[in-house]
Amino acid sequence: MCILAACAWVLYLDLQVTRQFEGRRWTLPAQVYAAPLELYAGEPLPLPALEQELQRLHYRRTDRLESPGTYRWSGEHIDLALRPARFADETRAAQLLTVNGGAGGILSLRDSGGADVPVLRLEPLLIGSIFPIHGEDRIVLTPAEVPPLLPAALKAVEDRKFDSHHGVDPLAMLRAAWVNVRAGQIEQGGSTLTQQLVRSYFLSSRQTLSRKLREAVMAVALDAHFSKADLMNAYINEIFLGQDGDRAIHGFGLASQFYFGKPLAELDLSEVALLVAIVRGPSYYDPRRHPDRARERRNLVLKELAQQRLVSAAAAGAAAARPLGVTSRPAGAYYPAYLDFVRRTLRRDYRDQDLTEAGLRIYTSLEPRAQDEAERALERELARLDKVHKHPQGQLEGAVVVTAPQSGDVIAIVGGRNVGYDGFDRALDARRSMGSLVKPFIYLTALESGRYNAATVVQDAPIDLKLQNGTHWKPENFTRETYGAVPVVRALAESLNLATVGVGLDVGVPKVAATLERFGLAAKPAPVPAMLLGAVDVTPLEAAQLYNGLANGGFKNPLRAVRAVIAADGKPLKAFPLEVTPVAAPAVVYQLDRMLVQVMDHGTGRAARALLPPQLVVAGKSGTSSDYRDSWFAGFSGSHLVVVWVGYDDNSPTGFTGSAGALPVWARVMAGLGTNSWNAPMPESLAEVHIEYPTGLRAVPGCAQDLVAVVVPSSAALAEKPGCGFPASNPVSSALDRAAQWLHGLVH
Amino acid sequence: MTRRIRTPLGLLLLVLLCACSLQGAPRSPASRPGGAAPPAGQAGAPGSAAPEAPQTPPAAAPRQFTLGPAATALVAQAHKQSGGGDYGQAAATVERALRIEPDNPLLWIELGRVRLGENNAAQADATARKALALGTGDPRVEASAWHLIADSLRARGRNPEAVDAERRALGLAPR
Repeated sequence: MCILAACAWVLYLDLQVTRQFEGRRWTLPAQVYAAPLELYAGEPLPLPALEQELQRLHYRRTDRLESPGTYRWSGEHIDLALRPARFADETRAAQLLTVNGGAGGILSLRDSGGADVPVLRLEPLLIGSIFPIHGEDRIVLTPAEVPPLLPAALKAVEDRKFDSHHGVDPLAMLRAAWVNVRAGQIEQGGSTLTQQLVRSYFLSSRQTLSRKLREAVMAVALDAHFSKADLMNAYINEIFLGQDGDRAIHGFGLASQFYFGKPLAELDLSEVALLVAIVRGPSYYDPRRHPDRARERRNLVLKELAQQRLVSAAAAGAAAARPLGVTSRPAGAYYPAYLDFVRRTLRRDYRDQDLTEAGLRIYTSLEPRAQDEAERALERELARLDKVHKHPQGQLEGAVVVTAPQSGDVIAIVGGRNVGYDGFDRALDARRSMGSLVKPFIYLTALESGRYNAATVVQDAPIDLKLQNGTHWKPENFTRETYGAVPVVRALAESLNLATVGVGLDVGVPKVAATLERFGLAAKPAPVPAMLLGAVDVTPLEAAQLYNGLANGGFKNPLRAVRAVIAADGKPLKAFPLEVTPVAAPAVVYQLDRMLVQVMDHGTGRAARALLPPQLVVAGKSGTSSDYRDSWFAGFSGSHLVVVWVGYDDNSPTGFTGSAGALPVWARVMAGLGTNSWNAPMPESLAEVHIEYPTGLRAVPGCAQDLVAVVVPSSAALAEKPGCGFPASNPVSSALDRAAQWLHGLVH
Repeated sequence: MTRRIRTPLGLLLLVLLCACSLQGAPRSPASRPGGAAPPAGQAGAPGSAAPEAPQTPPAAAPRQFTLGPAATALVAQAHKQSGGGDYGQAAATVERALRIEPDNPLLWIELGRVRLGENNAAQADATARKALALGTGDPRVEASAWHLIADSLRARGRNPEAVDAERRALGLAPR
């Protein structure tokens, strides 16, 4: 009876193990990639910058090109052995490329036959994966992708009789049992690779006798049904090799990326030996936390390999002398705020299970270089602000969003000063009062009305507005002073509240609200007068969406992090194509953008000048919410838009304005991006003129002090400075009339 | 929502002082060269009007946009892809080119042509208008953009408007 029962149990286990193993499908978390770097002749990318990008992809510098993933730099050219790469739209085989560089950047690209290559991209950097909470993450490899040394080393160290035993090695088990009994605790495993596989695949890790027995029976069953090669491949993809927060690192494919940042096929002897060493105890031998232990065990593995003649003693000795070579930060944990945005984008279209199990490849717009610049700038400036303002260290927070305005690509997101921490993502979730960031949209609405231009004189005068609830609203300027008659360009540049509120009330609060909605504000703001001073809550990402339309000449593009989603079999599943929608006349936006340039030259943005390249033309606007709770700066060059928010998580006052808090971060990010000047073409219906900055009177250079260049419709009649040699005209009265009308409207 | 001075006056003065010391002579972007080299193949920096030419649009010779070698190669590839009916890939390829030369109106027209091919007339129209804004001063570019607008209008059955757009195109650069 007993024997029958035992037989039934064994048969049951046999059935279970074979069925599960045959039907095995590793859950494959979606792999997320950064934007690939395009290389082309004429690109302003000097060779040292190219080398940095190669090192980010863990290309190795050598004297002679051996294998994909290496490069050689001699004089004015870099020879590259490119890895095979999969892009969203094509797959490329490994190939050789020569990059000829000069002082200004790349001069030409040539293939191995010496033919010109007009454009070619490096493979995209893997920036992470979307794995289930407390879940397994892995990159599955085929046997062909595994260097032969790895299975040989695993056998040598973990299971010498792997090729000959039947799933278990009784002698090894006895030996281990003897050692354990003598030591009074479990010191040796004695498990075969097959047993380890069974344990990882089917069982919990509790060490009990009955479990040991089940494990042994299942291992024998597996061995009977499947080839050794199949089992080895399963082991290589299955085994647990490290923990990264919530993410369990499984398989050697991902472990290689996780520890070394490069594919398994490119690992050298010392690196393979380290991974084999880690198998025994991924936590105990964690090379980042316990480098000495890891090194000792790696060298033991190397010795074992030499003893078994898998490698020469000389090679093992040389490898033992090498440093561990692990990257300082685990690959795939770099950019939590960006990945957060990617996940949210995809959750609109995909179930969690699709993302965490189906092996999707996700191509994003992240530019690692821009992301690094943004992270560094925020960390550095917040630390400086802590010191200058004697704030408690490390509590001031911030967020940065960087886009390429013409395409709407979000190329960097920083969600807080602790950049590696996957916590509160301020760029997406901190909903804060936008303060004076709203002002450009008020003036845009005013320009659209046709009744205002940059030179229009408006009154910066006390305002007392009786609200519907009977209370009075009396806004004030930042300085608590009033400035009287000022041209629009100055009112915006110096962020004068009273003048702006006057203009906003004149053009109509609902119209301003509609402008914000047109530019991409998700919900139309309540059309209350306080909105004119920025009582509109936005996240930094939403602020970026609004300003992107200004940076893109009046065209809105939905900001996007994901470009394409590709199925495991290479089939394109979804594309997020570039889309533009005209939301304001280019001529109107051009006039406004030129005023935003004056913000940087004359107004609240001018402190940035010291940090920016001298000739760089940028446009922007500061924002400070009431009681200095939020410090904003949003602005753009010809090729980048940067939005920065600085404040406290608990909304307490920071004590500084947008110009003092967010602006230096903004300027550092902008300076680090290697960006182009804002240089949009002036529409033909407009003309550039000079006006006196304090009065708005038209003048010619040399005839008056403190002139600024503004752009107005060619047909606009401007008041002229007397004695500046203009022919007699009568535009003054019209401007004064408008001012009088406006005051009239205000009073009544 | 008004700002109140809660910060020590000294700090405020410091900020103002800093800012003042940085303030240079007023300069206009139009009279300033760009900070970095324009992308290859782009003729005439946009907006580079002669300095001090009040009340007149850029008076220089008409601009003429061309594509750089990288964009040329990518556009050729996109033509092949859209020729084979693969508009999705073609659009992705033109987008690659646009990342290299985002200000080049010729590429926006290329993108619009692909959009028209995939029956997205609204996007074709929008990209044509983007091209018009960027290509101001280059009659050939403006004409191509108006042709594209005409085609996108026709695709939506708005024939009278299409005829107007076509007329504008022919007025700029007779075929």
